[in-house]
Amino acid sequence: MTGVRTILLVMSREVRQRLRSKGFFVFTALLCAGIITAGVLNRTLHSDSKPVYAVALAGDVPDGLADNLSTAAKALGITVRLSAAARADDVAAAVRSGQLDAVIDADHTRLISNRPPPATLAAVIDAAWRVAAARRAAAAAGLDPVQIAGVVAPPALTPAVLQLPAKKSDDVGRLVGTAAGVLLFVSINAFGGMVLTGVVEEKSTGVVEVLLSHVRAHQLLAGKVFGIGVVAMTQFCAAVAAGVIALRISGTTVPTAVWFGLPSALFWFVVGFVLYSTLFALAGSFVSRQEDAQGAAAPISMVFTAAYITMFALGANPSSTTTRVVSLLPPFAPLLMPLRIATGSASATEIIVAASLLLLATFAMLRLAGAVYARTLLHRGSRLKWGDALRMTSS
Amino acid sequence: MLEVSNIAKRFGDIVALDGVSLTVRPGELLGFLGPNGAGKSTTMRAIMGLIAIDAGSVTWKGAPITAESRRRFGYMPAERGMYPKMKVRDQIVYFARLAGLGKSDAAQSAERWMQRLDIAARADDEVQALSSGNQQRVQLAIALVHDPELLILDEPFSGLDPVAVENMKTILDEELQRGTAVLFSSHQLDLVTDISRDVVIVDHGRIVLEGDVRDIRDRAPFRYASIGFAEPCSWSPTVADAEVLDTAGRFVRLKVPAATAPAALLDDAGSAGRVVEFSFMPPDLSEVFLSAVSHPAVPAPADGHLHAAELHA
Repeated sequence: MTGVRTILLVMSREVRQRLRSKGFFVFTALLCAGIITAGVLNRTLHSDSKPVYAVALAGDVPDGLADNLSTAAKALGITVRLSAAARADDVAAAVRSGQLDAVIDADHTRLISNRPPPATLAAVIDAAWRVAAARRAAAAAGLDPVQIAGVVAPPALTPAVLQLPAKKSDDVGRLVGTAAGVLLFVSINAFGGMVLTGVVEEKSTGVVEVLLSHVRAHQLLAGKVFGIGVVAMTQFCAAVAAGVIALRISGTTVPTAVWFGLPSALFWFVVGFVLYSTLFALAGSFVSRQEDAQGAAAPISMVFTAAYITMFALGANPSSTTTRVVSLLPPFAPLLMPLRIATGSASATEIIVAASLLLLATFAMLRLAGAVYARTLLHRGSRLKWGDALRMTSS
Repeated sequence: MLEVSNIAKRFGDIVALDGVSLTVRPGELLGFLGPNGAGKSTTMRAIMGLIAIDAGSVTWKGAPITAESRRRFGYMPAERGMYPKMKVRDQIVYFARLAGLGKSDAAQSAERWMQRLDIAARADDEVQALSSGNQQRVQLAIALVHDPELLILDEPFSGLDPVAVENMKTILDEELQRGTAVLFSSHQLDLVTDISRDVVIVDHGRIVLEGDVRDIRDRAPFRYASIGFAEPCSWSPTVADAEVLDTAGRFVRLKVPAATAPAALLDDAGSAGRVVEFSFMPPDLSEVFLSAVSHPAVPAPADGHLHAAELHA
């Protein structure tokens, strides 16, 4: 029997046992529902802030006014809904009742509104009117269409921005990157904890003695970490999918860095999970009773929580030198890199270096853990210390 | 053939094993006996590769034991080892598959052993919901499900009622017929006398007695005799070095040298009254063991118990 088959058997037991629990489904469903709800709320808030105005055109309106209005409205971020009326008096009641925001009375060159019109609306109407009126006046003066165009629509200025304001997209990136980090933290804590208690359960029930007559310690370790990893990833993917849906629903302009950052968060999640869970499994193998498990895992939890706090501390400034350096370190990379990628502040070189270091550290950790695990797993009685464990392996 | 030669193991200052050797051949049953803490479990864990030994060797079919050969072993640890929240059937199938059985073979074999051990009705219950007796059956099923070549059973009889002990004996007999080599341990020395003919008895990590149970008992320098008269009578045995242990009503219990001829003793008793019951037995294994290790504070064998046992032997 090959080692891979054994690992797959151990994995499938873990997956089946975990998926049997209702808690997993309830939590995953709530998580996804929460994320999508956030998207829906965001959309509602955004559509409120995009005003719509109802404007009636009355009298002998110059040609092209309607087109000019919609173009100007779009440029200023408002929507103008137009209707037509024969005479301004016909719609006076509608203006008074608030059904209409304004009436353009072309015959008397008046802009009628119940109260002073909103500045943006007034500016849009003013600009559109001036151009349309100028066009009509020019035509009346006998200019041909080409001359008219030269007068009312001279060549526009070409924008030459020296520093592009990335403000808006940066915010979305930071939001998505931070959300991915929080999700990662919660998942690794929850499922890493599952690895920890799973290992201690095997020790405290003595089942490990029977298991080891058929399975090597490192196969048991790999099967457990990968099996619970599959369960964790299922939940993470569901959450990411919900996040994508939420972004679509919210109608926010999503920069490309985010679309690249979200799936890449999966990579950081998987490798980060393996790194931390292997450590959790090792800590579990040091103790024989569930009561001692949290104590043994405390050093790992501390490092992980420190990485989490660092994510918030440095996340505000994803391009600073400190952030750049710290985000390359394996214990921090899984939390910081998704944020830096989503905000577009990570260069390709940095991503490759961070990923390579993380993979290397994880591989080394798996090798070391495999060697330590065989000894510590069968240790009975009092809790081992990290130093004891390493000595047991080297002796 | 399993060969354990001269294995030694220390845990810090404590000597757990000090030169233990034993051999189990296919189709053979070896009882591994001794008080608690004698080194039985340590030896078995060494065979299963669960601890590293300091000296000596353990071989199977003449070669050091590998992970691959160990997969053909069935192991039942003294402290039970199962997943409490896993269903009985799933658990047995899982271990069968880890031992290398295919999906359908594992399912079939699990079904067969659940029937055989009378736990089929509990197949879909979590192990933690079972009584300790039934949990022990599941544990046995796990050890047997892949038709192992060698069975290592640590205290398989502890906690079993007499019916379950009989059932276990039948199963072990069948396994022996199949050619399985069986090593089992027990701290109840006398219980195994009618289960296993060959025993190894350890104490403090060393072998104190080994061989055929009958030979070991026969080597004792004395015998117990018990005579039941038809009516109470006073009788002083004339046999050399006879020691009267106990007279209660019409029964007399004696301790006599091993060389005493039973017929002479019976004649002697017959001269005092009509004899209706007579037994002449070597001491129990536990007594031989106790005198062999000569523990200082050894209580005398429980008279009443021994008495009754011998009368019916």
